Amino acid sequence: MIRIGITRASAPPAPLPGLWLLLAALPVAALPHAWEQPLWVILLVLGAVAGRLWIHAQHTRLPAAWVMILLALGAGALTFNHFGTWFGQEAGTALLLVMVALKLLEIRSERDIVVSLLLGYFVVVTTYFFNQSIGIAAYSLVSTWLLTATLLQVHAGRRLPLARLARASGVMLLQALPIMLILFLLFPRLPGPLWGSPERERTAQTGLSERLEPGDIAQLLENEATALRVRFEGPAPASSRQYWRALVMTDFDGRAWRVDHDRPSGAIDRVGGGTDAPIDVTYTATLEPNGARYLPMLEFAAAAPAGAELLGNHQVLRRHRIEQRIQYTGTAQWVIPEPPPLGPTERARALALPEGTAPRTRIQAGLWRTLHGDDDRAIVDAALTLFAAAPFRYTLRAPPLLRDRTDHFLFETQAGYCEHYASAFAVLMRAAGIPARVITGYQGGQWMDTGRYLRLRQADAHAWTEVWLDEQGWIRVDPTAAIAPERIEWGLSGLFDAGMEAPDFLRRSGLAWSAAWRLRLSDWHDLMTYRWEYGVLAFDPERQRELFARFGLDATDWKNVLLALLVTFGGLGLLAAGLAWLLRPRRPQDPAQRALERLSRRLQRLGLARQPHESAPHYAARVGAAHPELASALTAFAEAHTQLRYANLSAIEQAQFAQQLAHTLHIARVYTRWPQRRSAAPCA
Amino acid sequence: MRTAKLGAPRRGFRWARLREDAIRWVTRRHRADGFEATVTRDRVYILPTRQGYLLLATIVVMLVGSINYANNMAFLLTFLIVGIGHNAMWYTHRNLLGLQVRVLPVAPAFAGDAQVLRLRLEETAGRPREALRLQQGQREGSPVHVEAGGTTTIEVALEPRPRGRHGLARQRLFSGHPLGLLVAWTWLTLDTEVLVYPRPIAAGSPLPMAPASTTDGTVTAPAAVPEPDLDGIRAYRPGDAPNRIVWKAVARSGRLLVRETGGGGGPPVWLDWAQVIGPDPEFRLSVLCQAVLTAAAGERPFGLRLPGVELPPAAGPEHRERCLRALALFEAPTS
Repeated sequence: MIRIGITRASAPPAPLPGLWLLLAALPVAALPHAWEQPLWVILLVLGAVAGRLWIHAQHTRLPAAWVMILLALGAGALTFNHFGTWFGQEAGTALLLVMVALKLLEIRSERDIVVSLLLGYFVVVTTYFFNQSIGIAAYSLVSTWLLTATLLQVHAGRRLPLARLARASGVMLLQALPIMLILFLLFPRLPGPLWGSPERERTAQTGLSERLEPGDIAQLLENEATALRVRFEGPAPASSRQYWRALVMTDFDGRAWRVDHDRPSGAIDRVGGGTDAPIDVTYTATLEPNGARYLPMLEFAAAAPAGAELLGNHQVLRRHRIEQRIQYTGTAQWVIPEPPPLGPTERARALALPEGTAPRTRIQAGLWRTLHGDDDRAIVDAALTLFAAAPFRYTLRAPPLLRDRTDHFLFETQAGYCEHYASAFAVLMRAAGIPARVITGYQGGQWMDTGRYLRLRQADAHAWTEVWLDEQGWIRVDPTAAIAPERIEWGLSGLFDAGMEAPDFLRRSGLAWSAAWRLRLSDWHDLMTYRWEYGVLAFDPERQRELFARFGLDATDWKNVLLALLVTFGGLGLLAAGLAWLLRPRRPQDPAQRALERLSRRLQRLGLARQPHESAPHYAARVGAAHPELASALTAFAEAHTQLRYANLSAIEQAQFAQQLAHTLHIARVYTRWPQRRSAAPCA
Repeated sequence: MRTAKLGAPRRGFRWARLREDAIRWVTRRHRADGFEATVTRDRVYILPTRQGYLLLATIVVMLVGSINYANNMAFLLTFLIVGIGHNAMWYTHRNLLGLQVRVLPVAPAFAGDAQVLRLRLEETAGRPREALRLQQGQREGSPVHVEAGGTTTIEVALEPRPRGRHGLARQRLFSGHPLGLLVAWTWLTLDTEVLVYPRPIAAGSPLPMAPASTTDGTVTAPAAVPEPDLDGIRAYRPGDAPNRIVWKAVARSGRLLVRETGGGGGPPVWLDWAQVIGPDPEFRLSVLCQAVLTAAAGERPFGLRLPGVELPPAAGPEHRERCLRALALFEAPTS
């Protein structure tokens, strides 16, 4: 990248057209890296720009070759020291930025500027390693626009005004968009990487925890970030039916629930629908990176999406951690055919309660057991009835739990939210001898009418339970539905409507205008993000195949791809040619001159076209001499022509003379077309 | 067609000849242009520049990266740049298309002095043209631009030529506008006379001429500048120098009158090839050239006598040009 040669360092560098623009365009292109790169890289880039400006201000020389070599070696060593490698996305990007910075210090010619600009395009494209948001996309357009304007200036041959450069560059960019679009859609896509793994470690991702302790989800409840966006094929199911199952937790240690890690994927648990009508919904979900492997699926997933597996407990896990936004398609179905019974090991596991935990809860469960005998269903109902009435409260600001969590919640604080109730309910069931487990996932969400998609925020995280009833299998029981049905029916905002305290984003009224606007902007931003994700970033070989199939073509057949490319580019070319023809500049011409040219074209049949040097009167005289029948009409024509072109006429006079022109044209037409009627030709 | 007129290629002689043959083969369908030409579609050629190939390499690397990382945004940017590069082709082509070119007369010069070829560019298609450059042989001119519907002059220094009358070598009008990724050019075979006078020997020194052979009794004193003789006034004849017009007399009489010197007062001076001492014909021509310049600066009429050419004595700039032209065109008798 750094061209090292014998430097002619004796003279200050000559002013190069475009260098100033380059010094502006490169930092702009590099700006998005500031959030990802170590501080010294940023400082080096800024320092190089400042250094170059200083060189110009002071009229000093460019650094000598040995200085540049030392700087390059030093920067390379620093990069290696920082990243432990020169390769890979982060180290490679850092190296690129460093080299671009150093290149700025040794630009001597037009060619150097062009090389820097091409490196600038690389700087833009490496941004996408770290960020693929729509904002970055718009920003890259600005960077590309600036870089292209610089390239224009370099080759303009003179200093062009900035406005003109900006316009020309912008027009070029806009004109390139159709080609970009066609190639994006039609260029053959290959599945999978060519080398290495493109996965990149990410930090600070939020999502559901693999461990559930009452109080955990409370952190998510304030988090209005989007977790999942869902588009349904067909109508969306009712909110109360939308349980997005993510993690299943069977093991309880007295305080916390742990996700099942060791479930085989073979046998699928029997699940029952209870009183709900069966649903069959297909949807496409876009999941924000969560750093874990689970995919929230609408209960119950019929099959695992590509790259993931469906476990026996209806958990869907991806093979790799989800470090980037992913999109998957799922189908929810209710009835699992021929489910196996609960095995003894599984049963024991779903009944296990650590020794000595929740003594009062056990007594309560024992009481229900003696009361209802073998009727498990009645015990479930008894527990739900208990929760539904006072003194149990549903609140997002639950008091902290001390000593034995379950007992303290059930008999003392009696206030909490989904995870408190789910956990306590599961313990109650186990104490009563009913197999139970806790499920976490998302429930509710916000229906975005403009984009027709469901937006689930982190705050929509939810916990519920499943109990095993011998005749039916695992049955979903959501204790929250008993204590706060509005939470299930209307989502989190239902809580606010029910008069509870809630974060701003759950309230749809009674907000200060600033907060309301912030929320509206946030909705709008989410919509744009969704469109971008769904329409652009999720385009993959699969979607390309679908697109081709819509036109009856096969995306894997190169002949079909070639055909599609030919047809679209051919169409684009025709369109461009048509537009260029329509928008071509026309030489302004007055009607008199146009009439004269038409007359000349007509008389061409007689071999009497007007010579370029002939004025209208001369021409009229020449033709009149050759064809005396036309002479008077032509004289009148010449007079009208002269009047129209040179005299200051009223509108009426103009019309009269224009009529004279038309009249002569008509005579000339008749005269030239039908020689037999010449004698009858009307002469004005 | 005009290979011989191209400047001799300094290195890579064989390549230069191959190149020349290729150009001739490509342009064989074009007729010679004469004084003017229109840059039509069938004579615009376009190829990527080195920077264009560099961008192509950039695109390939970006594309491979996009495929590897399955990064749709990288695909988008890559294809955007492909689009920009593709459209640059169109822009570059159109930048040249439809220009009307006319050759302007090349001012004669003394051998060794710079001569400039100037072409008049006329824009008639209604779009501004940028960064147009003219090349002839190894020389390239600096870029010019034309506004929509406007005209401008583009020029290139001609390669130095020996004394004589020359034609123009093939010209190349080219442009890399807008992005320098591609260069579009057209070969022009515009022609005009390029006249190169002999190089005059240094002024001031006595001319190596013998005061000899007065066949008709006139004096030959080339080095002597005669005193102006103010006695006669006669009517203006075409070819008289403007500085000899007697304006006062013109104002009085209403006719153009000039001072009459030499004609009656001084006998005409003859500048004769035979007088010049020196074996080398070119040297003799250089001496005569200086003699013509000196004589033309004076007031007396002078004549020029070369083997096979005789220009009768006269005065005035036209006569001076005639003499210089005769010197430029003179073919030394081979003996």
